[in-house]
Amino acid sequence: MTFEELLKRDEFIWEVPQDVALGMRVPGRIFISDRLKNYLEQGAIQQVANVATLPGIQKWSLAMPDVHTGYGFPIGGVAAFDVADGVLSPGGVGFDINCGTRLLATTLLKEEIAPRIDELVTALFDAIPSGLGSKGSLRLSEKELDDVFFGGAKWAVNHGYGNPADLKHCESNGCLDGADPAKVSPLAKKRGKPQLGTLGSGNHFLEIQYVDRIFDEKAAHLFGLKEEQICIMLHSGSRGAGHQICSDYLRMFQAASRKYSIGLVDKQLACVPADSHEAREYFSAMAAAANYAWTNRQVMSFWTRDVLERKFNTTATLVYDVAHNIAKLEKHVINGERKDVYVHRKGATRAFDQDTSYGIEQPVLIPGSMGTASYVLHGTKKAMSTTFGSTCHGAGRVLSRKAARRSLTWREVTEDLHQKHITIKTEDLAAVPEEAPEAYKPIDEVIDVVSKLGISEAVARLTPVGVIKG
Amino acid sequence: MQKYEFLEHTADVMFVAYGKTFNELFENAAEALESTMVLLDGVAEAQSTAITVSSDSCENLLYDWLAELLIKFEVERFAVRKCFVRIVDLLLTADCLGETVDPRRHKLNTEVKAVTYHNLSIGKNDVYHAEITLDV
Repeated sequence: MTFEELLKRDEFIWEVPQDVALGMRVPGRIFISDRLKNYLEQGAIQQVANVATLPGIQKWSLAMPDVHTGYGFPIGGVAAFDVADGVLSPGGVGFDINCGTRLLATTLLKEEIAPRIDELVTALFDAIPSGLGSKGSLRLSEKELDDVFFGGAKWAVNHGYGNPADLKHCESNGCLDGADPAKVSPLAKKRGKPQLGTLGSGNHFLEIQYVDRIFDEKAAHLFGLKEEQICIMLHSGSRGAGHQICSDYLRMFQAASRKYSIGLVDKQLACVPADSHEAREYFSAMAAAANYAWTNRQVMSFWTRDVLERKFNTTATLVYDVAHNIAKLEKHVINGERKDVYVHRKGATRAFDQDTSYGIEQPVLIPGSMGTASYVLHGTKKAMSTTFGSTCHGAGRVLSRKAARRSLTWREVTEDLHQKHITIKTEDLAAVPEEAPEAYKPIDEVIDVVSKLGISEAVARLTPVGVIKG
Repeated sequence: MQKYEFLEHTADVMFVAYGKTFNELFENAAEALESTMVLLDGVAEAQSTAITVSSDSCENLLYDWLAELLIKFEVERFAVRKCFVRIVDLLLTADCLGETVDPRRHKLNTEVKAVTYHNLSIGKNDVYHAEITLDV
């Protein structure tokens, strides 16, 4: 499927017509600028069309400006399915259930940290396990792991890993209702048990950043952000527990899709009717993984605060914590009618126009690629009517990991970071080129598109000074 | 004949494995997966373990086999250097040689989150071939 088959509906809105592929139930919509269009892969367009073939899909199969080819759903994909005649698809959430981003704001200023940045990065690197197969220092019993699956970030706060105010500043208060540890396989529990409080590898990271620009004074003030302030951003998910839960249900849904006579254009899109017992079981397990991920980020925040206290005699407040791989039961106005739908966000962030955390629009956290800026934005009314309350989740890859390693060496990339006065620590130097800025789309352009489109509005820009690459 | 070949995929790791026989196809797919996670040159054939997998289709058998190896790696920390696969009527039995992963001795590569079903297919031209996408 080529770009020429798309129709331009408006500035930044390109439609995948319903008749370009067999079985599409709704058109697709890809939100990109002329510049980002150059990065759009045929595979990603095809995946937008594939998602449009799933039963009960509402209005459009969407792709955010950071879209790129994934497996099953595109990364940057958003789709809403009717609770009555739609589906739930584990592939629409992905393996890293509730992979997400969290931002902590410290009381420190850039100039205070500058002389001691290496010390801070090293201390955080030592405190938070990262890299392939890393194990956490928490020793959980089976019962405690079940409590994590059930309670999410609240479990962590109740056990001393944070304070109650943290919960208020998490999407869904750091806990999805309906989680049932009994729907999580013994294998998923086995994978998840030793990994709570670990960053993982690949594109997961912890960054020390400073606020280099404020776009919206009022919102920034409410979110507790000011210029030159040091913040810490975490990007991680549900580790092996989430990966296994997705694998288990995808495997189960291969047969279940056939049972319900759902034709699939890609096996990775395996799904079941949203009102079936299989869907209820998956949702209970997915919610458990989402809760594990919130606990994971909460525990890592605790260790981050511990380092800040030991090294700088200070602490940090939680600005927000947002998921970007998740399925949520939400109410949206569709064709004039307020309906319950399962919104699947696969590499996309919730961007609601209302949120209880600060009494204004919901904070949105968008990390850039390693060594480039990240953004704090907020949701909008336009997002509610255009994207089921969703926006982008990052810069979005353009180079494969293989191509990135071919075109750049880790020395070049670390030297470039050094030139920008960014300290990096990682367990896996060889993988550093995979996360280089050249491997991603320009974040500023992605943010520009979501802002001009009006699906989120920029509040502040954060520039990194230290990176721990997982 | 090449054992396997890594292909371009924007987000993840994709490879095509080859084999003159079905058994060999599965052995080579296993090696491609293991080499994604660890530098195989440093892994000794010091211990052996047996794996049995049964499934309802060839593609699902391949998925289940690779998923089993991924679990062995992550949960038991066992890296497979070499394996001998026998498949009869969608029942796979394998003798796997390898050793326990030790980050001080072994060069760990990429963390594989999961084997995906994306475009999972097994075909035959001159030899059997299978395309696999790993979520990393």
